[in-house]
Amino acid sequence: MIPTHWFLILSAILFSIGVCGVLTRRNGITIFMSIELMVNAVNLTFLAYARQFHQLHGLIFVFFVMAIAAAEAAVGLAIFISLFHHRETIDVDEANLMHW
Amino acid sequence: MPHALSYMLEYLIFFVFATIAVVFALMVVLHRNPVIGALSLVVAFFALAVMYVLLEAPFLAALQVIVYAGAIMVLFLFVIMLLNLQHRTEEATRPVQQFLGFTTSAAFLISLVYYIGKYAVFGKLPDGRFASDARTIGIRLFEAYVFPFEMVSILLLAAIVGALLLSSRGAATRAEIPTEVSE
Repeated sequence: MIPTHWFLILSAILFSIGVCGVLTRRNGITIFMSIELMVNAVNLTFLAYARQFHQLHGLIFVFFVMAIAAAEAAVGLAIFISLFHHRETIDVDEANLMHW
Repeated sequence: MPHALSYMLEYLIFFVFATIAVVFALMVVLHRNPVIGALSLVVAFFALAVMYVLLEAPFLAALQVIVYAGAIMVLFLFVIMLLNLQHRTEEATRPVQQFLGFTTSAAFLISLVYYIGKYAVFGKLPDGRFASDARTIGIRLFEAYVFPFEMVSILLLAAIVGALLLSSRGAATRAEIPTEVSE
């Protein structure tokens, strides 16, 4: 049995990579993929704790997170399609319609 | 001796697939072409599904492959294809923003690992098999969690309607949102 720590550390590494992607990239779809990566890192933490304490709640939470991530992906990508129709780009620096 | 062998094998699988997950996650973040980024993310999701199997959650590993690697990433690839972005590589970001992003996330990682090492102290794993197959999860889902389950179905319906409305190129939506904004 692999100790729970190692899964937590792997999850921390993947989450930090996702944070790095959101902070440094400008392509909207890449930023979105980084967010999906962070969601998956959190799912891994949930499952590691679920196994550590033999609790099913963590697994069911991961199930709901997956369903909500699917909804989020659909709406987010639709927003990017709409943005592309209006601006011909998905560079988030160009999407300054709500600029102060 | 077979016990020690399976122990070794489990660690080997963990390290191989953890390395794959981290390397392909870095590819997503560092590669400038969105198609290669999306395909790398599919590989990272497969490696994470292996992690789920190691964590005794085979049902969620199957869901990970079907929902994430199968459905969500295909949606991403379709959108990249639809917007014709596969040849459009992103030019370099401003150096200051890039530097701050890398240092912030590295500091975040170091502090996370430090506090996991310091505070996440676990006892021994409980004995016996963790009953986390599809049957157990299904029974729990339709007994204790039936209300959130139904709410998720409404949420998905709302997401479908919202996605259709946002991505449709109808005259009604185009008239409402100005194409050009005077600076």
